[in-house]
Amino acid sequence: MAAVELRGVTRRYEGGAGPVVALDDVSMDVEPGEFVAVMGPSGSGKSTLLNLVGLLDAPDEGTVRIEGRDVTDLGVDERTRVRRDTVGFVFQDFHLIPTLSALENVVVPTVFGGDPARERAADLLERVGLGDRLEHTPDELSGGQKQRVAIARALVNRPRVVLADEPTGNLDRDTGARVLEELTAVTDDGVSVVAVTHDPVVAGFADRTVRLRDGVVV
Amino acid sequence: MRLPALFVARRNLSRNRLRSALAALGILVGVVAIASLGIFGNVLAVGADDALGDIGTQVIVTPNADAGFETIDDRTVTEIERAVADVSEATVVPLRTDGGLVRRGGNAAAATIYGIENPAAIYEAREGRLPERHRQGAVVGAGLAETLELRAGDNVEVDGETHRVVAVLEPVETFTPVSPDDAVMLPEGAVGGDGYEQVVVEADTGPEATASAAAVEAAVNDREERVDVFELSTVVDEIDEFFSLLSGFLVGLGGISLFVAGVSILNVMLMSTVERRREIGVLRAVGVSRADILRTILIEAALLGLLGAAVGVAVTVALVTALYLATPVELWVVLHPMNGVYLLAAFAFGVLVSVVSGLYPAWKAATERPVDALRG
Repeated sequence: MAAVELRGVTRRYEGGAGPVVALDDVSMDVEPGEFVAVMGPSGSGKSTLLNLVGLLDAPDEGTVRIEGRDVTDLGVDERTRVRRDTVGFVFQDFHLIPTLSALENVVVPTVFGGDPARERAADLLERVGLGDRLEHTPDELSGGQKQRVAIARALVNRPRVVLADEPTGNLDRDTGARVLEELTAVTDDGVSVVAVTHDPVVAGFADRTVRLRDGVVV
Repeated sequence: MRLPALFVARRNLSRNRLRSALAALGILVGVVAIASLGIFGNVLAVGADDALGDIGTQVIVTPNADAGFETIDDRTVTEIERAVADVSEATVVPLRTDGGLVRRGGNAAAATIYGIENPAAIYEAREGRLPERHRQGAVVGAGLAETLELRAGDNVEVDGETHRVVAVLEPVETFTPVSPDDAVMLPEGAVGGDGYEQVVVEADTGPEATASAAAVEAAVNDREERVDVFELSTVVDEIDEFFSLLSGFLVGLGGISLFVAGVSILNVMLMSTVERRREIGVLRAVGVSRADILRTILIEAALLGLLGAAVGVAVTVALVTALYLATPVELWVVLHPMNGVYLLAAFAFGVLVSVVSGLYPAWKAATERPVDALRG
Protein backbone atom coordinates (compact mmCIF):
# COMPACT_ATOMS: atom_id res chain seq x y z
CA MET A 1 0.00 0.00 0.00
CA ALA A 2 1.34 3.40 -0.97
CA ALA A 3 2.10 5.86 1.83
CA VAL A 4 0.61 8.62 -0.30
CA GLU A 5 -1.67 8.16 -3.27
CA LEU A 6 -2.95 10.97 -5.49
CA ARG A 7 -5.56 10.10 -8.15
CA GLY A 8 -6.65 12.59 -10.77
CA VAL A 9 -6.02 15.50 -8.48
CA THR A 10 -7.00 18.91 -9.80
CA ARG A 11 -6.69 22.19 -7.93
CA ARG A 12 -7.88 25.51 -9.25
CA TYR A 13 -7.46 28.96 -7.78
CA GLU A 14 -9.53 32.01 -8.45
CA GLY A 15 -7.16 34.43 -10.16
CA GLY A 16 -7.70 37.97 -11.37
CA ALA A 17 -8.26 36.79 -14.93
CA GLY A 18 -10.44 33.78 -14.17
CA PRO A 19 -9.58 30.45 -12.55
CA VAL A 20 -5.96 29.31 -12.66
CA VAL A 21 -5.35 25.58 -12.79
CA ALA A 22 -2.46 24.91 -10.42
CA LEU A 23 -2.65 21.11 -10.70
CA ASP A 24 -4.33 19.36 -13.55
CA ASP A 25 -5.31 15.72 -13.16
CA VAL A 26 -2.16 14.66 -11.34
CA SER A 27 -1.78 11.07 -10.20
CA MET A 28 1.18 9.92 -8.17
CA ASP A 29 2.15 7.30 -5.56
CA VAL A 30 4.79 7.54 -2.88
CA GLU A 31 5.81 4.19 -1.40
CA PRO A 32 6.81 3.77 2.27
CA GLY A 33 10.46 4.66 2.73
CA GLU A 34 10.70 6.25 -0.69
CA PHE A 35 12.43 9.62 -1.26
CA VAL A 36 10.63 11.47 -4.06
CA ALA A 37 11.87 14.78 -5.42
CA VAL A 38 9.27 16.97 -7.11
CA MET A 39 10.90 19.40 -9.51
CA GLY A 40 9.64 22.08 -11.78
CA PRO A 41 9.85 25.76 -12.46
CA SER A 42 8.05 28.38 -10.36
CA GLY A 43 4.31 28.23 -10.87
CA SER A 44 4.39 24.60 -11.97
CA GLY A 45 2.19 23.55 -9.05
CA LYS A 46 4.88 22.06 -6.79
CA SER A 47 3.77 23.89 -3.66
CA THR A 48 0.13 23.12 -4.38
CA LEU A 49 1.03 19.46 -4.65
CA LEU A 50 2.87 19.59 -1.33
CA ASN A 51 -0.03 21.34 0.37
CA LEU A 52 -2.43 18.67 -0.88
CA VAL A 53 -0.24 15.80 0.29
CA GLY A 54 0.35 17.60 3.56
CA LEU A 55 -3.41 18.02 4.14
CA LEU A 56 -3.05 21.78 4.28
CA ASP A 57 -5.32 22.02 1.27
CA ALA A 58 -7.97 19.92 -0.43
CA PRO A 59 -8.28 19.23 -4.17
CA ASP A 60 -11.21 20.37 -6.30
CA GLU A 61 -11.26 17.02 -8.03
CA GLY A 62 -9.64 13.64 -7.49
CA THR A 63 -8.72 11.85 -4.30
CA VAL A 64 -5.87 11.93 -1.82
CA ARG A 65 -5.15 8.77 0.19
CA ILE A 66 -2.67 8.44 3.01
CA GLU A 67 -1.86 4.83 3.86
CA GLY A 68 -5.00 3.82 1.99
CA ARG A 69 -7.27 6.14 3.90
CA ASP A 70 -9.22 8.61 1.80
CA VAL A 71 -8.50 12.02 3.33
CA THR A 72 -9.88 14.09 0.47
CA ASP A 73 -12.99 15.42 2.14
CA LEU A 74 -12.04 15.54 5.79
CA GLY A 75 -13.20 18.48 7.87
CA VAL A 76 -10.71 21.01 9.19
CA ASP A 77 -10.33 19.47 12.62
CA GLU A 78 -10.06 15.87 11.44
CA ARG A 79 -7.60 17.02 8.79
CA THR A 80 -5.52 18.68 11.52
CA ARG A 81 -5.51 15.46 13.54
CA VAL A 82 -4.45 13.31 10.58
CA ARG A 83 -1.78 15.88 9.76
CA ARG A 84 -0.42 15.71 13.29
CA ASP A 85 -0.31 11.92 13.30
CA THR A 86 0.99 11.21 9.82
CA VAL A 87 2.73 14.21 8.26
CA GLY A 88 5.90 16.10 9.13
CA PHE A 89 6.89 19.41 7.54
CA VAL A 90 10.28 20.88 6.69
CA PHE A 91 10.16 24.43 5.32
CA GLN A 92 12.57 26.41 3.22
CA ASP A 93 13.04 29.09 5.88
CA PHE A 94 12.88 26.62 8.76
CA HIS A 95 9.99 28.31 10.59
CA LEU A 96 11.39 27.62 14.01
CA ILE A 97 9.87 29.54 16.91
CA PRO A 98 12.55 32.10 17.73
CA THR A 99 12.01 32.24 21.49
CA LEU A 100 12.13 28.50 22.04
CA SER A 101 15.26 26.38 22.39
CA ALA A 102 16.09 23.73 19.80
CA LEU A 103 14.69 21.08 22.11
CA GLU A 104 11.47 22.99 22.77
CA ASN A 105 11.01 23.61 19.06
CA VAL A 106 11.10 19.88 18.47
CA VAL A 107 8.72 19.26 21.39
CA VAL A 108 6.15 21.83 20.18
CA PRO A 109 4.05 19.51 17.96
CA THR A 110 3.51 17.20 20.94
CA VAL A 111 2.86 19.87 23.54
CA PHE A 112 -0.83 20.34 22.90
CA GLY A 113 -1.43 16.59 22.97
CA GLY A 114 -0.81 16.87 26.70
CA ASP A 115 2.17 14.53 26.66
CA PRO A 116 5.25 16.43 25.51
CA ALA A 117 7.83 14.03 24.10
CA ARG A 118 10.96 15.63 25.50
CA GLU A 119 13.02 12.46 25.50
CA ARG A 120 12.10 11.57 21.98
CA ALA A 121 12.86 15.12 20.93
CA ALA A 122 16.29 14.95 22.55
CA ASP A 123 16.94 11.59 20.84
CA LEU A 124 15.97 13.02 17.47
CA LEU A 125 18.25 16.03 17.92
CA GLU A 126 21.01 13.64 18.89
CA ARG A 127 20.32 11.70 15.72
CA VAL A 128 20.63 14.77 13.47
CA GLY A 129 23.91 15.64 15.20
CA LEU A 130 22.66 18.39 17.49
CA GLY A 131 22.93 16.56 20.80
CA ASP A 132 25.10 19.38 22.13
CA ARG A 133 22.77 22.15 20.96
CA LEU A 134 19.54 21.28 22.80
CA GLU A 135 19.28 24.53 24.71
CA HIS A 136 20.38 26.83 21.90
CA THR A 137 17.80 29.21 20.49
CA PRO A 138 17.42 29.42 16.70
CA ASP A 139 19.47 32.61 16.41
CA GLU A 140 22.39 30.76 17.98
CA LEU A 141 22.24 28.08 15.28
CA SER A 142 23.48 28.09 11.70
CA GLY A 143 21.11 27.62 8.77
CA GLY A 144 22.00 23.95 8.41
CA GLN A 145 21.56 23.37 12.12
CA LYS A 146 18.19 25.08 12.03
CA GLN A 147 17.06 22.87 9.19
CA ARG A 148 18.20 19.80 11.10
CA VAL A 149 16.16 20.99 14.11
CA ALA A 150 13.25 21.30 11.68
CA ILE A 151 13.79 17.73 10.50
CA ALA A 152 13.78 16.52 14.10
CA ARG A 153 10.56 18.49 14.66
CA ALA A 154 9.01 16.91 11.56
CA LEU A 155 9.76 13.45 12.97
CA VAL A 156 8.68 13.91 16.56
CA ASN A 157 5.14 12.65 16.02
CA ARG A 158 6.37 9.55 14.10
CA PRO A 159 4.88 10.58 10.75
CA ARG A 160 4.44 8.31 7.72
CA VAL A 161 5.61 11.00 5.35
CA VAL A 162 7.91 14.01 5.68
CA LEU A 163 7.20 16.88 3.29
CA ALA A 164 10.08 19.20 2.54
CA ASP A 165 9.55 22.50 0.74
CA GLU A 166 12.88 23.61 -0.77
CA PRO A 167 14.74 22.14 2.21
CA THR A 168 18.09 23.30 0.86
CA GLY A 169 16.83 26.59 -0.58
CA ASN A 170 18.49 28.76 2.04
CA LEU A 171 21.58 26.64 2.57
CA ASP A 172 24.99 26.49 0.91
CA ARG A 173 25.93 23.39 -1.00
CA ASP A 174 27.76 21.49 1.75
CA THR A 175 25.22 22.29 4.43
CA GLY A 176 22.46 21.36 2.01
CA ALA A 177 24.10 18.02 1.40
CA ARG A 178 24.25 17.38 5.14
CA VAL A 179 20.53 18.13 5.48
CA LEU A 180 19.74 15.87 2.54
CA GLU A 181 21.70 13.07 4.20
CA GLU A 182 19.51 13.46 7.25
CA LEU A 183 16.40 13.37 5.10
CA THR A 184 17.66 10.25 3.37
CA ALA A 185 18.36 8.67 6.75
CA VAL A 186 14.71 9.26 7.64
CA THR A 187 13.62 6.89 4.90
CA ASP A 188 15.53 4.04 6.53
CA ASP A 189 12.76 3.78 9.08
CA GLY A 190 10.14 3.41 6.37
CA VAL A 191 9.15 7.07 6.43
CA SER A 192 8.54 8.53 2.97
CA VAL A 193 10.05 11.86 2.01
CA VAL A 194 8.58 14.17 -0.60
CA ALA A 195 10.84 17.14 -1.34
CA VAL A 196 9.76 19.98 -3.59
CA THR A 197 12.78 21.74 -5.06
CA HIS A 198 14.56 23.67 -7.74
CA ASP A 199 17.83 22.17 -6.62
CA PRO A 200 19.16 19.34 -8.81
CA VAL A 201 21.30 18.19 -5.85
CA VAL A 202 18.11 17.19 -4.05
CA ALA A 203 17.10 15.08 -7.02
CA GLY A 204 20.49 13.37 -6.73
CA PHE A 205 19.59 12.13 -3.25
CA ALA A 206 16.06 11.07 -4.25
CA ASP A 207 14.98 7.61 -5.28
CA ARG A 208 12.79 9.10 -7.94
CA THR A 209 12.09 12.50 -9.42
CA VAL A 210 8.68 13.73 -10.52
CA ARG A 211 8.72 16.71 -12.86
CA LEU A 212 5.86 19.14 -13.02
CA ARG A 213 5.17 21.79 -15.60
CA ASP A 214 2.02 23.96 -15.66
CA GLY A 215 0.32 21.65 -13.21
CA VAL A 216 0.93 18.50 -15.19
CA VAL A 217 3.36 15.65 -14.53
CA VAL A 218 5.82 15.43 -17.44
CA MET B 1 2.65 20.53 31.66
CA ARG B 2 -0.96 19.81 32.49
CA LEU B 3 -2.19 22.93 30.71
CA PRO B 4 -0.15 23.27 27.55
CA ALA B 5 -2.16 26.24 26.33
CA LEU B 6 -1.47 28.06 29.59
CA PHE B 7 2.22 27.27 29.35
CA VAL B 8 2.48 28.45 25.77
CA ALA B 9 0.38 31.54 26.53
CA ARG B 10 2.65 32.58 29.38
CA ARG B 11 5.65 32.02 27.20
CA ASN B 12 4.16 34.15 24.44
CA LEU B 13 3.40 37.00 26.82
CA SER B 14 6.92 37.01 28.21
CA ARG B 15 8.27 37.47 24.68
CA ASN B 16 7.31 41.11 24.68
CA ARG B 17 7.21 42.00 28.33
CA LEU B 18 6.89 45.73 27.84
CA ARG B 19 3.92 45.39 25.52
CA SER B 20 2.24 42.86 27.79
CA ALA B 21 2.87 45.10 30.79
CA LEU B 22 1.38 48.11 29.01
CA ALA B 23 -1.69 46.16 27.98
CA ALA B 24 -2.10 44.94 31.56
CA LEU B 25 -1.59 48.51 32.73
CA GLY B 26 -4.62 49.56 30.73
CA ILE B 27 -6.74 47.00 32.53
CA LEU B 28 -5.14 48.02 35.81
CA VAL B 29 -6.18 51.62 35.32
CA GLY B 30 -9.69 50.57 34.34
CA VAL B 31 -10.08 48.32 37.36
CA VAL B 32 -8.69 50.97 39.70
CA ALA B 33 -11.06 53.53 38.16
CA ILE B 34 -14.14 51.35 38.56
CA ALA B 35 -13.27 50.02 41.99
CA SER B 36 -11.97 53.22 43.56
CA LEU B 37 -14.64 55.50 42.11
CA GLY B 38 -17.27 52.98 43.12
CA ILE B 39 -15.85 52.69 46.61
CA PHE B 40 -15.38 56.44 47.03
CA GLY B 41 -18.94 57.01 45.93
CA ASN B 42 -20.12 54.39 48.36
CA VAL B 43 -18.02 55.83 51.20
CA LEU B 44 -19.58 59.23 50.50
CA ALA B 45 -23.06 57.75 50.49
CA VAL B 46 -22.55 55.65 53.61
CA GLY B 47 -20.80 58.52 55.39
CA ALA B 48 -23.55 60.97 54.48
CA ASP B 49 -26.17 58.46 55.47
CA ASP B 50 -24.48 58.10 58.82
CA ALA B 51 -24.19 61.87 59.33
CA LEU B 52 -27.81 62.34 58.34
CA GLY B 53 -28.81 59.37 60.43
CA ASP B 54 -30.73 61.21 63.13
CA ILE B 55 -32.65 63.62 60.98
CA GLY B 56 -33.73 60.62 58.96
CA THR B 57 -35.16 58.92 62.02
CA GLN B 58 -36.41 61.92 63.97
CA VAL B 59 -39.73 63.66 63.66
CA ILE B 60 -39.96 67.10 65.27
CA VAL B 61 -43.42 68.27 66.19
CA THR B 62 -43.77 72.00 66.97
CA PRO B 63 -46.82 74.12 67.73
CA ASN B 64 -48.34 75.86 64.77
CA ALA B 65 -47.69 79.50 65.64
CA ASP B 66 -49.60 80.69 62.57
CA ALA B 67 -52.78 79.27 64.02
CA GLY B 68 -52.07 80.83 67.40
CA PHE B 69 -50.62 77.80 69.16
CA GLU B 70 -47.57 78.76 71.23
CA THR B 71 -47.09 75.44 72.97
CA ILE B 72 -48.11 71.83 72.75
CA ASP B 73 -50.27 70.89 75.67
CA ASP B 74 -50.32 67.61 77.59
CA ARG B 75 -53.45 66.41 75.86
CA THR B 76 -51.81 66.85 72.47
CA VAL B 77 -48.69 65.05 73.68
CA THR B 78 -50.87 62.13 74.69
CA GLU B 79 -52.51 62.17 71.25
CA ILE B 80 -49.09 62.18 69.65
CA GLU B 81 -47.98 59.28 71.84
CA ARG B 82 -51.05 57.25 70.92
CA ALA B 83 -50.74 58.00 67.23
CA VAL B 84 -47.07 57.04 67.21
CA ALA B 85 -47.61 53.87 69.25
CA ASP B 86 -50.17 52.70 66.68
CA VAL B 87 -47.65 52.67 63.82
CA SER B 88 -44.19 52.20 65.31
CA GLU B 89 -41.95 51.56 68.29
CA ALA B 90 -40.72 55.15 68.21
CA THR B 91 -40.13 57.03 71.46
CA VAL B 92 -41.92 60.32 72.09
CA VAL B 93 -39.86 62.93 73.94
CA PRO B 94 -41.62 66.22 74.79
CA LEU B 95 -39.24 69.15 75.30
CA ARG B 96 -39.62 72.49 76.96
CA THR B 97 -37.28 74.99 75.42
CA ASP B 98 -35.93 78.15 76.94
CA GLY B 99 -32.83 80.22 76.67
CA GLY B 100 -30.65 81.56 79.43
CA LEU B 101 -27.30 82.10 80.98
CA VAL B 102 -25.37 79.19 82.41
CA ARG B 103 -22.66 79.95 84.88
CA ARG B 104 -19.91 78.18 86.72
CA GLY B 105 -17.54 80.17 88.86
CA GLY B 106 -16.40 83.10 86.78
CA ASN B 107 -17.39 81.55 83.43
CA ALA B 108 -20.74 82.11 81.84
CA ALA B 109 -22.29 81.02 78.54
CA ALA B 110 -25.60 81.52 76.81
CA ALA B 111 -27.27 78.19 76.31
CA THR B 112 -30.46 76.56 75.19
CA ILE B 113 -32.29 75.15 78.15
CA TYR B 114 -34.40 72.08 77.59
CA GLY B 115 -36.88 70.74 79.99
CA ILE B 116 -36.94 67.04 79.37
CA GLU B 117 -38.31 64.11 81.29
CA ASN B 118 -36.57 61.21 79.52
CA PRO B 119 -33.23 62.35 78.02
CA ALA B 120 -32.01 58.72 78.00
CA ALA B 121 -34.45 58.03 75.16
CA ILE B 122 -32.61 60.20 72.63
CA TYR B 123 -29.18 61.00 74.06
CA GLU B 124 -26.15 59.19 75.36
CA ALA B 125 -23.95 60.19 78.28
CA ARG B 126 -20.20 60.50 78.00
CA GLU B 127 -19.84 60.95 81.70
CA GLY B 128 -22.20 60.31 84.59
CA ARG B 129 -25.52 58.55 84.10
CA LEU B 130 -28.64 59.69 82.30
CA PRO B 131 -31.66 59.29 84.52
CA GLU B 132 -34.60 57.27 83.19
CA ARG B 133 -36.88 59.89 84.70
CA HIS B 134 -35.28 63.24 85.02
CA ARG B 135 -36.26 64.54 88.49
CA GLN B 136 -33.32 66.65 89.47
CA GLY B 137 -29.89 67.80 88.38
CA ALA B 138 -28.64 69.05 85.03
CA VAL B 139 -27.56 67.18 81.96
CA VAL B 140 -24.99 69.22 80.06
CA GLY B 141 -24.17 69.05 76.35
CA ALA B 142 -20.60 68.30 75.32
CA GLY B 143 -19.87 71.74 73.88
CA LEU B 144 -21.23 73.62 76.85
CA ALA B 145 -19.39 71.31 79.26
CA GLU B 146 -16.16 72.12 77.48
CA THR B 147 -16.76 75.86 77.51
CA LEU B 148 -17.48 75.89 81.23
CA GLU B 149 -15.08 73.04 82.08
CA LEU B 150 -17.92 71.12 83.64
CA ARG B 151 -17.74 67.53 84.84
CA ALA B 152 -20.34 65.26 86.32
CA GLY B 153 -20.70 66.12 89.98
CA ASP B 154 -19.96 69.82 89.54
CA ASN B 155 -22.50 72.44 90.39
CA VAL B 156 -23.81 74.75 87.71
CA GLU B 157 -25.99 77.80 87.86
CA VAL B 158 -28.80 77.93 85.33
CA ASP B 159 -30.80 81.13 85.23
CA GLY B 160 -29.83 81.84 88.77
CA GLU B 161 -30.66 78.44 90.21
CA THR B 162 -27.94 75.97 91.12
CA HIS B 163 -28.11 72.40 89.85
CA ARG B 164 -25.78 69.47 90.24
CA VAL B 165 -24.47 68.06 86.94
CA VAL B 166 -25.63 64.44 86.72
CA ALA B 167 -24.30 63.70 83.23
CA VAL B 168 -22.34 65.17 80.36
CA LEU B 169 -23.56 64.09 76.91
CA GLU B 170 -21.58 62.53 74.10
CA PRO B 171 -20.85 65.12 71.44
CA VAL B 172 -23.44 64.76 68.68
CA GLU B 173 -21.69 64.90 65.31
CA THR B 174 -24.69 64.22 63.18
CA PHE B 175 -27.03 66.89 62.07
CA THR B 176 -30.16 67.07 64.19
CA PRO B 177 -32.77 69.74 64.67
CA VAL B 178 -32.52 69.25 68.43
CA SER B 179 -28.82 69.78 68.98
CA PRO B 180 -27.83 69.17 72.61
CA ASP B 181 -24.17 70.19 72.33
CA ASP B 182 -24.62 73.71 73.61
CA ALA B 183 -27.61 73.00 75.75
CA VAL B 184 -28.34 72.15 79.31
CA MET B 185 -31.20 69.84 80.20
CA LEU B 186 -33.20 70.22 83.32
CA PRO B 187 -36.22 68.39 84.64
CA GLU B 188 -39.45 69.57 83.08
CA GLY B 189 -40.56 71.29 86.25
CA ALA B 190 -37.44 73.40 86.40
CA VAL B 191 -38.20 75.06 83.09
CA GLY B 192 -41.01 77.50 83.25
CA GLY B 193 -44.10 77.68 81.13
CA ASP B 194 -47.06 75.52 80.21
CA GLY B 195 -46.88 72.79 77.65
CA TYR B 196 -43.97 72.05 75.40
CA GLU B 197 -42.18 73.94 72.65
CA GLN B 198 -41.43 70.75 70.73
CA VAL B 199 -41.98 67.04 70.76
CA VAL B 200 -39.27 64.78 69.35
CA VAL B 201 -40.32 61.42 67.98
CA GLU B 202 -37.28 59.19 67.82
CA ALA B 203 -37.74 56.18 65.50
CA ASP B 204 -35.35 53.36 64.67
CA THR B 205 -35.63 53.62 60.92
CA GLY B 206 -36.48 56.15 58.26
CA PRO B 207 -39.71 54.42 57.21
CA GLU B 208 -40.84 54.25 60.84
CA ALA B 209 -40.23 57.98 61.16
CA THR B 210 -42.20 58.64 57.99
CA ALA B 211 -45.09 56.52 59.27
CA SER B 212 -45.01 58.21 62.67
CA ALA B 213 -45.06 61.65 61.07
CA ALA B 214 -48.04 60.71 58.94
CA ALA B 215 -49.85 59.27 61.96
CA VAL B 216 -49.24 62.39 64.05
CA GLU B 217 -50.35 64.58 61.20
CA ALA B 218 -53.54 62.58 60.82
CA ALA B 219 -54.36 62.35 64.51
CA VAL B 220 -53.44 65.81 65.79
CA ASN B 221 -54.13 67.98 62.77
CA ASP B 222 -57.38 66.22 62.04
CA ARG B 223 -59.67 69.21 62.49
CA GLU B 224 -57.25 72.03 63.07
CA GLU B 225 -53.63 72.60 62.14
CA ARG B 226 -52.40 72.56 65.70
CA VAL B 227 -48.86 71.41 65.08
CA ASP B 228 -46.18 71.48 62.43
CA VAL B 229 -44.70 68.10 61.72
CA PHE B 230 -41.14 68.24 60.49
CA GLU B 231 -39.56 65.05 59.27
CA LEU B 232 -36.61 64.56 56.99
CA SER B 233 -36.71 60.87 56.24
CA THR B 234 -38.09 61.55 52.78
CA VAL B 235 -35.35 64.13 52.22
CA VAL B 236 -32.83 61.55 53.40
CA ASP B 237 -34.27 59.10 50.89
CA GLU B 238 -33.72 61.65 48.17
CA ILE B 239 -30.18 62.27 49.35
CA ASP B 240 -29.57 58.52 49.28
CA GLU B 241 -30.94 58.42 45.78
CA PHE B 242 -28.62 61.22 44.77
CA PHE B 243 -25.64 59.37 46.13
CA SER B 244 -26.52 56.14 44.39
CA LEU B 245 -26.85 58.17 41.19
CA LEU B 246 -23.43 59.68 41.90
CA SER B 247 -21.97 56.22 42.49
CA GLY B 248 -23.46 55.02 39.24
CA PHE B 249 -22.01 57.99 37.42
CA LEU B 250 -18.56 57.42 38.91
CA VAL B 251 -18.65 53.72 38.10
CA GLY B 252 -19.74 54.65 34.58
CA LEU B 253 -16.63 56.82 34.23
CA GLY B 254 -14.56 53.87 35.40
CA GLY B 255 -16.38 51.67 32.91
CA ILE B 256 -15.33 53.94 30.08
CA SER B 257 -11.68 53.60 31.04
CA LEU B 258 -12.10 49.84 31.26
CA PHE B 259 -13.63 49.86 27.80
CA VAL B 260 -10.61 51.76 26.51
CA ALA B 261 -8.39 49.19 28.20
CA GLY B 262 -10.32 46.46 26.43
CA VAL B 263 -9.66 48.13 23.10
CA SER B 264 -5.97 48.27 23.94
CA ILE B 265 -5.96 44.55 24.77
CA LEU B 266 -7.72 43.90 21.49
CA ASN B 267 -5.08 45.93 19.71
CA VAL B 268 -2.19 44.22 21.47
CA MET B 269 -3.56 40.74 20.85
CA LEU B 270 -4.27 41.57 17.24
CA MET B 271 -0.76 42.90 16.75
CA SER B 272 0.82 39.96 18.44
CA THR B 273 -1.19 37.44 16.42
CA VAL B 274 -0.36 39.25 13.21
CA GLU B 275 3.32 39.18 14.14
CA ARG B 276 3.09 35.51 14.97
CA ARG B 277 1.11 34.68 11.87
CA ARG B 278 3.71 32.35 10.37
CA GLU B 279 4.40 30.78 13.71
CA ILE B 280 0.73 30.05 14.21
CA GLY B 281 0.69 28.70 10.66
CA VAL B 282 3.52 26.34 11.58
CA LEU B 283 1.68 25.21 14.69
CA ARG B 284 -1.42 24.54 12.63
CA ALA B 285 0.67 22.69 10.02
CA VAL B 286 2.27 20.41 12.61
CA GLY B 287 -1.17 19.47 13.83
CA VAL B 288 -2.10 21.91 16.58
CA SER B 289 -5.88 22.22 16.46
CA ARG B 290 -7.83 25.42 15.93
CA ALA B 291 -9.29 25.00 19.42
CA ASP B 292 -5.81 24.90 20.96
CA ILE B 293 -4.74 28.06 19.12
CA LEU B 294 -7.96 29.78 20.17
CA ARG B 295 -7.54 28.67 23.76
CA THR B 296 -3.91 29.79 23.89
CA ILE B 297 -4.67 33.30 22.67
CA LEU B 298 -7.70 33.64 24.93
CA ILE B 299 -5.56 32.56 27.87
CA GLU B 300 -2.98 35.17 26.87
CA ALA B 301 -5.67 37.83 26.97
CA ALA B 302 -7.06 36.45 30.23
CA LEU B 303 -3.60 36.45 31.82
CA LEU B 304 -3.12 40.09 30.85
CA GLY B 305 -6.51 40.81 32.39
CA LEU B 306 -5.80 38.80 35.54
CA LEU B 307 -2.47 40.52 36.02
CA GLY B 308 -3.90 43.99 35.45
CA ALA B 309 -7.00 43.33 37.54
CA ALA B 310 -5.06 41.80 40.45
CA VAL B 311 -2.61 44.69 40.61
CA GLY B 312 -5.54 47.06 40.11
CA VAL B 313 -7.31 45.60 43.14
CA ALA B 314 -4.11 45.96 45.16
CA VAL B 315 -3.70 49.58 44.07
CA THR B 316 -7.33 50.29 44.93
CA VAL B 317 -6.90 48.78 48.39
CA ALA B 318 -3.85 51.01 48.85
CA LEU B 319 -5.81 54.08 47.69
CA VAL B 320 -8.69 53.32 50.02
CA THR B 321 -6.25 52.78 52.88
CA ALA B 322 -4.69 56.16 52.08
CA LEU B 323 -8.17 57.70 52.04
CA TYR B 324 -8.87 56.16 55.43
CA LEU B 325 -5.60 57.44 56.89
CA ALA B 326 -5.83 60.91 55.37
CA THR B 327 -9.47 61.72 56.08
CA PRO B 328 -11.75 61.35 59.09
CA VAL B 329 -13.66 58.53 57.36
CA GLU B 330 -14.49 55.87 59.90
CA LEU B 331 -13.18 52.33 59.62
CA TRP B 332 -16.59 50.69 59.41
CA VAL B 333 -17.46 52.94 56.46
CA VAL B 334 -14.27 51.85 54.67
CA LEU B 335 -14.99 48.19 55.45
CA HIS B 336 -18.60 48.44 54.27
CA PRO B 337 -19.47 45.19 52.43
CA MET B 338 -20.58 47.14 49.36
CA ASN B 339 -16.95 48.26 48.90
CA GLY B 340 -15.92 44.61 48.67
CA VAL B 341 -18.59 44.10 46.05
CA TYR B 342 -17.16 46.98 44.01
CA LEU B 343 -13.67 45.50 44.34
CA LEU B 344 -14.76 42.04 43.23
CA ALA B 345 -16.94 43.38 40.44
CA ALA B 346 -14.12 45.57 39.09
CA PHE B 347 -11.78 42.56 39.16
CA ALA B 348 -14.30 40.36 37.37
CA PHE B 349 -15.06 43.05 34.77
CA GLY B 350 -11.34 43.57 34.16
CA VAL B 351 -10.81 39.90 33.39
CA LEU B 352 -14.03 39.66 31.42
CA VAL B 353 -13.20 42.68 29.27
CA SER B 354 -9.78 41.18 28.52
CA VAL B 355 -11.17 37.81 27.50
CA VAL B 356 -13.86 39.40 25.35
CA SER B 357 -11.20 41.57 23.71
CA GLY B 358 -9.14 38.47 23.03
CA LEU B 359 -12.02 36.72 21.27
CA TYR B 360 -11.67 38.32 17.87
CA PRO B 361 -7.86 38.06 17.58
CA ALA B 362 -8.05 34.48 18.83
CA TRP B 363 -10.77 33.55 16.38
CA LYS B 364 -8.94 35.26 13.54
CA ALA B 365 -5.65 33.52 14.30
CA ALA B 366 -7.23 30.12 14.82
CA THR B 367 -9.28 30.10 11.66
CA GLU B 368 -6.69 31.36 9.22
CA ARG B 369 -5.71 28.67 6.74
CA PRO B 370 -2.18 27.48 7.54
CA VAL B 371 -1.30 27.65 3.83
CA ASP B 372 -2.03 31.39 3.81
CA ALA B 373 -0.31 31.99 7.12
CA LEU B 374 2.84 30.16 6.02
CA ARG B 375 3.02 32.10 2.79
CA GLY B 376 3.26 35.13 5.06
